[in-house]
Amino acid sequence: MAVVKTLLYLLVYPGIIFLFVYSTFCEWFDRKVYARLQNRMGPTHTGRWGILQPVADFFKLMSKEDVVPDQADKRLFNLLPIVGLAIVGTSGLLLPVWHFNLAQSGFNSFSGDIIVILYLLSLPTLIFFLAGWSSTNYFSTIGGTRVLTMFFGYEVPLFMAVLSPAILANSWRLAEIAAFYQKKPWFILPNLLGFVIALICVQAKLERTPFDIPHAETEIVGGTFTEYSGKKLAFFRLMTDIELVVSSGLVAAVFLGGFPGGLWLGLLNFVVKTLFVIFLLSLLRAMTSRIRVDQVVSFAWKYLAPLAVLQLLIVILIKGLLL
Amino acid sequence: MKFTIPIGPQHPALKEPISLRMTVDGEFIRDADIRLGYNHRGLEKLAEEKTWIQNIYLTERICGICSHSHSTCYVQGVEKLMEITPPKRGNYIRYLVSELERIHSHLLWLGVAGHEAGFDSFFMYTWRDREVVMDILEMISGNRVHYAINTLGGVRRNLDEMQVKKSLEGMEILKKRSEYYFKIGVNEPTFVARLAGVGYLSKQQAIDLCAVGPTARASDIPRDVRRDDPHAVYDEVPFDVCTADTCDVLGRVVVRVKELMESYKICDFLLRNLPAGDIAVKAPRKAKPNEFLSRYEAPRGENTHYIKSNGSDKPERLKVRAPTLANYAATVEMLKNGFIADIPLIFAAIDPCICCAERTVELINGRTGAEKIVRFSELRKLAEDRFKKLPPKRNAVWPL
Amino acid sequence: MTDVEIMEKTKSLFGDKIVEMTNPTERRIFIKVEPQNLVPLIAGLRKDLNITYVATISGLDLGESFEILYHFGHDHGSLTVRTQIPRANPHVESICSVIPGAVFYERELQDMFGLIVDHIPDARPLVVPDDWPANNFPLRKDWKYERPPEIIPGGKK
Repeated sequence: MAVVKTLLYLLVYPGIIFLFVYSTFCEWFDRKVYARLQNRMGPTHTGRWGILQPVADFFKLMSKEDVVPDQADKRLFNLLPIVGLAIVGTSGLLLPVWHFNLAQSGFNSFSGDIIVILYLLSLPTLIFFLAGWSSTNYFSTIGGTRVLTMFFGYEVPLFMAVLSPAILANSWRLAEIAAFYQKKPWFILPNLLGFVIALICVQAKLERTPFDIPHAETEIVGGTFTEYSGKKLAFFRLMTDIELVVSSGLVAAVFLGGFPGGLWLGLLNFVVKTLFVIFLLSLLRAMTSRIRVDQVVSFAWKYLAPLAVLQLLIVILIKGLLL
Repeated sequence: MKFTIPIGPQHPALKEPISLRMTVDGEFIRDADIRLGYNHRGLEKLAEEKTWIQNIYLTERICGICSHSHSTCYVQGVEKLMEITPPKRGNYIRYLVSELERIHSHLLWLGVAGHEAGFDSFFMYTWRDREVVMDILEMISGNRVHYAINTLGGVRRNLDEMQVKKSLEGMEILKKRSEYYFKIGVNEPTFVARLAGVGYLSKQQAIDLCAVGPTARASDIPRDVRRDDPHAVYDEVPFDVCTADTCDVLGRVVVRVKELMESYKICDFLLRNLPAGDIAVKAPRKAKPNEFLSRYEAPRGENTHYIKSNGSDKPERLKVRAPTLANYAATVEMLKNGFIADIPLIFAAIDPCICCAERTVELINGRTGAEKIVRFSELRKLAEDRFKKLPPKRNAVWPL
Repeated sequence: MTDVEIMEKTKSLFGDKIVEMTNPTERRIFIKVEPQNLVPLIAGLRKDLNITYVATISGLDLGESFEILYHFGHDHGSLTVRTQIPRANPHVESICSVIPGAVFYERELQDMFGLIVDHIPDARPLVVPDDWPANNFPLRKDWKYERPPEIIPGGKK
């Protein structure tokens, strides 16, 4: 029975099938919100309300011709999309949705798994850089260097912001953090500053406006993805979508009190909370314009990092005074 | 580490083919080189073989967005050459369409600037308003893009009461919406941060390099043909010349926004004070030997046509100089010492209408059969080699 | 300044260099000079009359000679300086030393008419394609374009 449950966990929910289905739904939601904010309709044609549009895009890309440039490093070029997809899929398994026992550590919930999930979510940046580098195209190289330059900006505030609720909850295990905030919901309020910082940094990690410099279409044609086409591009886009879901799941687990209630109620909680976070991210995307990469780094170090330190101070004070 | 990036001839940032070759060092541009000729169509030679009336259709098709400006500049010049004056009502209608075209072009440009800067929401909103202007133009002239409303001696279509009323309503809607967006859109901090300080062109450089239009006006040079050379309607219509003094892309946005507001006022005035009368006079078929330099303020700058006649029914020489060509020299200066990320913005800030700026024979390319298809790897190798080897004799160093 | 004032001032400052000056319509002045006086006159216009903006440079093929017109714009109209050079020896001095922005127009003149502009800063062809055969100058009156017969692949002629 445990084996069946584990298999279900790995493959169906929150395994690859659930991630695929839910991430395409989230991409639809994001596109619809973005379009309605811009006074347009967004996807309407495929499926009811256009829900199947991202799935249609995925299958269309899978059926297109796959072109590999002559001078590119072939093994790296071919391997990167699959490795990327594997990484974000694995990070999805660490979200505390079900099949974990608070009393003992399992394979999907153990002390320190918040660090593991943050580490797994920062690997895609390296994958994007390698994708740009191995394409040996000037535009991709510039895109790759921009990805790494932005990485130096947002990663530190993100870590500090996500770890402050963990410090308040006195645990490095996502399930325990979520349980702490479920028991004492008022402690969510001191972490509001961290929530805002984490949202901005997650937007930068996902390379969405105002931080979509690495694949800025009007400037460098396609950035890191210029030379990718066909199945590889389909996998990269799926990887970006799943990264969206996992990041918003992480933010919701840490800041909004996790997903209580076992299997079905937990699933409902998961959907509602991640959709709320994705709604905020789409709002941010529709309301701003792109900024330059040096402006990102200076903004991150001048404003985000000090605010994240402030958040840590608040958490430490509250922990000392009240707990 | 320096290498050369080719922007164009095909690039998502460019709506028309042009080749900019930038020598870059990290994210800084050290040198820029503009190569033209991809859109050259042989217009000036062709104009010498068509009659005066046929040339109206030819000049209108020089460009899509500024079609009325080329056609009006030409027709103005030929009317002066033939010494005929169109009636007042005809002039009012003609320049009403000009101002509507200016509104349309500026709204389009604001959307393009927003898109190049990554601010897609702004782009969607301004282009939706452009539909209102195009509907008014379609009501007046029957077409959304090439209005075909000019003829030698006046205009071809009249305006009746209902059209005037609908146009005035359209102007009201646009004015309210424009004020609303510009309060929000141009005050958006990320947008302003993106545009400020980009593409700096000092006042002295703008004077030396003969910049025109909003590019020059944003560097605090009040150069506007409607005021310098008031012909037809512009000595009766009250308007201000809009300048800004920040000399960068943000200044150009501000200048175009102010011009948009001025154009609404001018259209309002023209619509309310439309005189009664005919709309055209009959023009002769042949013109006496004469010459004339016709100047017109297109949305992008000054449009100059030099027309010479030799007594027959075809022009002896038609020289067209579109405003974008005058701004290329300034663009090269603006691109040096900028960031790569700013290339589309700087280039879009001069409002390039590349098809306006190029006119001559490209047909011979296909006839000799010498077509060279360059693969991207070859292009890259070409750029690398060109950088490594000594510069060939044709590349003289520009002393500026 | 009105037309009359500009004409008076130009005549008083550069009267010796000017061959002919006309004012055919309001706000349009045409000045004719000899080729060797061209650059000094333009430098003088820039320095004394503050006329710095060259709108365009047109070329005309008059058969035995080429005529080049330099159109300037100023705050109250426009002023055109024209000069004629013989067809057998089509050399003209570049004005880029006075007005750097004129280089694009002079390059176009070189491509289209086959004139040679001396001391131009950048002598590359501007508008013709890279594989354009040499000595083909489209805007000369004796250059005609023969349209090749249209061949529709697989269709009737």
